[in-house]
Amino acid sequence: MAALAALAATVGGLLRLRAAGAEGQWRRLRGAGLLRGLLQPDSATGVAAQRRHVAHFTFQPDPEPQEYGQTQKMNLFQAITSALDNSLAKDPTAVIFGEDVAFGGVFRCTVGLRDKYGKDRVFNTPLCEQGIVGFGIGVAVTGATAIAEIQFADYIFPAFDQIVNEAAKYRYRSGDLFNCGSLTIRAPWGCVGHGALYHSQSPEAFFAHCPGIKVVVPRSPFQAKGLLLSCIEDKNPCIFFEPKILYRAAVEQVPVEPYNIPLSQAEVIQEGSDVTLVAWGTQVHVIREVASMAQEKLGVSCEVIDLRTILPWDMDTVCKKFREAAYGKEELDFGRRMTVFERNSGFKNNTVLQLKINYIQQCQKGKKNDSLQGSVIKTGRLLISHEAPLTGGFASEISSTVQEECFLNLEAPISRVCGYDTPFPHIFEPFYIPDKWKCYDALRKMINY
Amino acid sequence: MAVAAAAAAARIWGSSRGLGQAGLLLLRRPGAWGLARSLPQRRAQQHFPSLDDKPQFPGASAEFVDKLEFIQPNVISGIPVYRVMDRQGQIINPSEDPHLPQEKVLKFYKSMTLLNTMDRILYESQRQGRISFYMTNYGEEGTHVGSAAALDNTDLVFGQYREAAVGAAYAAKRANANRVVICYFGEGAASEGDAHAGFNFAATLECPIIFFCRNNGYAISTPTSEQYRGDGIAARGPGYGIMSIRVDGNDVFAVYNATKEARRRAVAENQPFLIEAMTYRIGHHSTSDDSSAYRSVDEVSYWDKQDHPISRLRHHLQSRGWWDEEQEKAWRKQSRKKVMEAFEQAERKPKPSPSLLFSDVYQEMPPQLRKQQEALARHLQTYGEHYPLDHFEK
Repeated sequence: MAALAALAATVGGLLRLRAAGAEGQWRRLRGAGLLRGLLQPDSATGVAAQRRHVAHFTFQPDPEPQEYGQTQKMNLFQAITSALDNSLAKDPTAVIFGEDVAFGGVFRCTVGLRDKYGKDRVFNTPLCEQGIVGFGIGVAVTGATAIAEIQFADYIFPAFDQIVNEAAKYRYRSGDLFNCGSLTIRAPWGCVGHGALYHSQSPEAFFAHCPGIKVVVPRSPFQAKGLLLSCIEDKNPCIFFEPKILYRAAVEQVPVEPYNIPLSQAEVIQEGSDVTLVAWGTQVHVIREVASMAQEKLGVSCEVIDLRTILPWDMDTVCKKFREAAYGKEELDFGRRMTVFERNSGFKNNTVLQLKINYIQQCQKGKKNDSLQGSVIKTGRLLISHEAPLTGGFASEISSTVQEECFLNLEAPISRVCGYDTPFPHIFEPFYIPDKWKCYDALRKMINY
Repeated sequence: MAVAAAAAAARIWGSSRGLGQAGLLLLRRPGAWGLARSLPQRRAQQHFPSLDDKPQFPGASAEFVDKLEFIQPNVISGIPVYRVMDRQGQIINPSEDPHLPQEKVLKFYKSMTLLNTMDRILYESQRQGRISFYMTNYGEEGTHVGSAAALDNTDLVFGQYREAAVGAAYAAKRANANRVVICYFGEGAASEGDAHAGFNFAATLECPIIFFCRNNGYAISTPTSEQYRGDGIAARGPGYGIMSIRVDGNDVFAVYNATKEARRRAVAENQPFLIEAMTYRIGHHSTSDDSSAYRSVDEVSYWDKQDHPISRLRHHLQSRGWWDEEQEKAWRKQSRKKVMEAFEQAERKPKPSPSLLFSDVYQEMPPQLRKQQEALARHLQTYGEHYPLDHFEK
């Protein structure tokens, strides 16, 4: 009997440890008498024992912000909590609701808020996403601030009708008599290493197709707090996707007081002259690393852009409206012909080089006249990357717009490095995600086009 | 053995009350050994008087039963229909008479008949091509007017949006606004997941809301026998923990009384109410529908002639000496004139400028949308002759 009890305890212990992924400790326990006969190591089949794989990116914190007062070290979920705390403090109508938010949430984003603000302001709802969003719309229609949590972005689809047919159209269909602008929907988003089909999705493309809402994805704690506060205060219904893999992994200094980061503004986080790289959320850190690799191995200078807002997206920063008046079509055409000639002939002489320099200067002058940044105009090459599947992913919208606006500036076809057109896989995740090697390879091909 | 394993399991999986405590209690039995002796005796004396008598599940509180028996959904004699007047307009139970002043009851009648007149004129105008689409209210005038009359001017009315109505009610409760929210929907819409979500949220979040279901027998062509198998919509309310009632929707006083009381209690007690108003859709579903394709003319005629909310109220008014044939004739003429004048005035107005196609998508117009607006303007400059611009403002 005692032996059986011991067995039960050990099996339980084993299961717990295994769940924690501590393979080393497991191997230690294996030696303990009773179990040798029961549990065979993987080496029996010849497959090496597996470790939980290392993350595919390295989070790069931004320098400590100076202009917003005192800062504190926060990870992503703490930055979210801080934003929510600020919101509930200054807006007495604000309420937070969703599944399991009362005890703090499955990702700890709402820890402490119910105790601080009361159970009528931070509360659980039944398990029903269409209800959560529909209820949120109603709260917002009365003018109160509604912050709805969907437990995983993968579960947002039951609420799709409420978001697309109700929330997005509320103001339009009533001729501005009514609106649900004070609604914000938050959801954990993106791959996490082991999330598989239903805990890894990035559904921003579905919502990009829906006029009337805004869709925002932050890359870091500092960005998240500022963008979330902007979403909450924005007078339109917003969806705020939080990269769950960054909840703990991303740590940086974040201001304690509220501050805003504007929506619909992309951020050029690194200037470059040869290739433009665009991404959002976790993938920004991947392309940042790709930019370093490109500089180191290829001597290629990359411009790295975090799109931040998917809808309405910042077209101006990524490309610029082609203005014939600014540089003259002839000059542009000539410059392009010179580039082709140069490449085809392998012939470099000073005259050609000088013409090319003139051309680039013309473009940059044109850019300065406009006081807009036109990244692709500057570089001529664009690579967009996201975890969501390739077909119909948001990279296709960016690609299509850029080729319309910057056609003659393009030196190579626009490159999209995305997830495959499959559901998000479980064990195949390392092969599925658009990691730095795939991005690097695509970049290399683009340079050599 | 099972006992010891249970206790071990309790320790592994943590302190969740059910299994842990039960495991510990089982250990009280003489003869249990192993881990039992090492546990402090006082933990066994918890507050469960006796496990055998009452279930302790967090999910439901009820008695045990030791006979296998399924609950029979009772559709033959289901929830009764509350009414105040009989079909001839006579008050049945004087204590249920709302004792409304003449002026108010006349307002009921004039509202219902004005609506009926507007329906006739607008239905005709669609047939004439003057409007694109219309849905009439024939037979259901009592549900609209009776319920609306029982509300305050500041109450919120939602047609359809069940979940949003609940959210609005919650916000009204938080604001101590003394407002009720009423949400109207048909027995067909009650099948949507929206209704389930709305009911469940309203009950769990304790919202001051009236769910008003107009059960008119048809969802376009789908009769109630194909819409549900239970006892209508009212029977679902108790399943969610919602106070529910079924009323005669063709009896404007019954509708009024039920809505009035529901409103009072919803606001006072912060809980939802479900009113299922039974009625009949005398007209087609819409101007795109011809209901003779799925129901008999006789059936429709019965309701039109024998059990119509307007007739019932008129009988009632006449029996009280508050209405007569002369007033009826005069009012019919007056109401028709009223509707026609409003219609013609609206018809003369040009439609708003096409540039407004792009406004109110967001509070502010994003640059992309402005570009599209300009593109349309340019397009119309060149190709405007192919568009009905005459009917629109510039």
